[in-house]
Amino acid sequence: MMKENVMDNAADQVTDKLTASETLSQVDTSRRRAMKQLTALFGGALSMSSISLAVQGYQAQKDIPGRTGKILNPQQLNLLRILVGLIIPATETPSASDVDVHGFIDNQLAFCFSKEEQLAFIRGLEKLQSTAVKQLGQAFAKCHQAQQVDLLNNLLSDLEDASGDFDSKDKDFFYRTKSLTLLGYYTSEIGATRELAYLPIPGGYRGNVPFDEVGKAWALN
Amino acid sequence: MTKITNKSIHIKTQPLEYDAIVVGSGITGGWAAKEFCEKGLKTLLVERGRPVEHKKDYIGEGVKTWEMPFRGQVEKALVEKQYPVQAQCYAFNDATKHFFGNDHDYPYSTEKDKPFSWIRGNQLGGKSLLWHRQSYRWSDFDFNANAKDGYGTDWPIRYKDIQDWYDYVEHHVGISGSVENIPQLPDSKFLPPFEFNTVEKRLKAKIEQNYSDRKLIMGRCAHLSKPAQHHLEQGRGPCMARNECQKGCSFGAYFSTQSSTLPAAQKTGNLTVATNSIVHSVIYDANSNRATGVRIIDSETMQTREYYGKVVFLCASTLGTTQIMLNSVSETFPNGIANSSGVLGHYLMDHCYNAGAYADIPGFEDEFYSGRRPTGVYMPRFQNLVDKNPDFLRGYAFSGQAYREAWWEFGGKKGFGVDYKKAIQQAGGWKFGLHASGEMLPRYENQVSLHATKKDKWGIPQLHFDCSYSDNEKKMMQSAADTAAEMFEAIGLKNVHKYTNDRPMGIAIHEMGTARMGKDPKTSILNGFNQAHDIPNLFVTDGACMASSAWQNPSLTYMALTVRACDFAVKEMKAGRI
Repeated sequence: MMKENVMDNAADQVTDKLTASETLSQVDTSRRRAMKQLTALFGGALSMSSISLAVQGYQAQKDIPGRTGKILNPQQLNLLRILVGLIIPATETPSASDVDVHGFIDNQLAFCFSKEEQLAFIRGLEKLQSTAVKQLGQAFAKCHQAQQVDLLNNLLSDLEDASGDFDSKDKDFFYRTKSLTLLGYYTSEIGATRELAYLPIPGGYRGNVPFDEVGKAWALN
Repeated sequence: MTKITNKSIHIKTQPLEYDAIVVGSGITGGWAAKEFCEKGLKTLLVERGRPVEHKKDYIGEGVKTWEMPFRGQVEKALVEKQYPVQAQCYAFNDATKHFFGNDHDYPYSTEKDKPFSWIRGNQLGGKSLLWHRQSYRWSDFDFNANAKDGYGTDWPIRYKDIQDWYDYVEHHVGISGSVENIPQLPDSKFLPPFEFNTVEKRLKAKIEQNYSDRKLIMGRCAHLSKPAQHHLEQGRGPCMARNECQKGCSFGAYFSTQSSTLPAAQKTGNLTVATNSIVHSVIYDANSNRATGVRIIDSETMQTREYYGKVVFLCASTLGTTQIMLNSVSETFPNGIANSSGVLGHYLMDHCYNAGAYADIPGFEDEFYSGRRPTGVYMPRFQNLVDKNPDFLRGYAFSGQAYREAWWEFGGKKGFGVDYKKAIQQAGGWKFGLHASGEMLPRYENQVSLHATKKDKWGIPQLHFDCSYSDNEKKMMQSAADTAAEMFEAIGLKNVHKYTNDRPMGIAIHEMGTARMGKDPKTSILNGFNQAHDIPNLFVTDGACMASSAWQNPSLTYMALTVRACDFAVKEMKAGRI
């Protein structure tokens, strides 16, 4: 059924494109060879079908001064930019704010969340802002990073917050922000393919792999 | 001439007569079409939904997360308007939503305080595109269950009646799994099983050391782990372990109508497919006591027409089939076709997936896996086989897996910043869960009927649900949660959490019953060959035929029953009895 020599040439053209962009380097040679044949036989439609859903995808935007969101005003969006950058800062890979996770969250809130959830989120941002002003005398964005981190640690603290400024709603807000930040970051191209190990077409399941062989968590687990 | 007894619909006649009409193109309809076509019958396959072409129409397949409009989430306004019920399904997301029914177009009603989540796949291929692909044989523990405890009516068949038909469908489908010689879970004809990961291997050993009555096996699934030549010839290839099956699979690695039965049927030249064709009712001729065809409403043009056939197979899903039958009224059958017994719509069952436990497994930080296995581990039923459990009748299985926590599980964890990001990159700890799938008793009071006044946009009366789990299912789920947690503690897992919940019926998507098989025409709709007691050329081979629900996933049994019924029907036609 599979005539290897005939398939190979056709397969090369299809799959060289695929392998270049989709990190199949972890796949050994024979597996890779089998994959090429299979992709030619079965996967031809993959690249075509990819297009139709991509049209509306959220596109990362640049942070121009005064940038406003779909539901967040410029000040709130800027605060969120700092917040997502504190949750996922730059390491060898860019931070969450570098890949516009704040813009993504604003977009996600606008389309995938209820009015109440949107308002609760905005309330959380405003509470963080007002607490910064109250405790530190200035807007959250103007505080030193160490102060910002202290404030968030204070918010997350299990012990009763001495100042009494944060309550369980604020904690819920921050956990929601964290979840949305992870979603935005690790489903972005940089988060998925550079920060984590990315293998869209594994070619099969292997149950016993030393962690070092992969070296990182899977983007798609 | 056909006498039209149902006055609610104007019919334009359609002159063609087919040898066989199959209503519904999902798992059973696809099989019926294939079998009839291969036996030389001119076959019409009727599907209420739109056509879906293999590969070409899998529009969510291969789309990268960052190319998705909302990274896989679905717009809230769309969910609220079109998918409030479907969105409850685990497989519903932005890349699969087009394979789910539209709740706005397919309304139904439920009795107060008795919710039912009706998950539907209304397109060519039906739910065969969406199913979870777990494939298990039933045994005589299951076929004897009703007779043993008196719930439901005795099955008219036993394992020996269906065994060869399991063989037959498994050969074509390709079932991955391991030979285990477990009496309550007969082995299939297997392709190689998927691998256990390191942690699952360790847990399997510990559990089996501690409990002589329990086995942890690899989940059996309709995936080509290693396709045989005849699978390659179907145009199918090996599973790539993406585990995104419900988006559609261009490799044809899992069994669906599109990947497997439809091409086989089409190859014969005997198949005609009518999509966008909603079956309003089955046409019945009282003089000959035969079903002579089906009345259709074109879902797009609202035009009506009739198709005629020598034999009619209803494979429109448990509830779809029942709705058609209830709506097929005549002077002879004022309460639904082939319903002289009055049990049509009754004895509705679903599995109960409402309990389990999960825990942490310390260590194993150096161990990982590669690929996304499309199945998990499985612990077959171990209770009420020999010893009697004092708390509940019948039984449940567990399924689950061991895995390392991925990025999405860090949202609820403490911390943020560089260390947090590094921890996510290094993968989380190992988790293990076991989740119950329990048998539901057949009960007369759990029923669907046609609503007295409410209709859908095509003028077809809506289904009204009046059903709920009984104390037996609730006690079974409590016991399952306790049992899983005890087991986890006994083998040294940490942070053991058990749970029960009260998710509504329907969400397991294993609806069964409502046109049950039985020995007695006074208490059942179908005989042991899925043939209506009342009408010899009318058959029901989807989940509606089931007399009990067992604890195993049912689709493989539907397939075996379908091919057996096709074989019987053709023999009866040749003998001139149909």
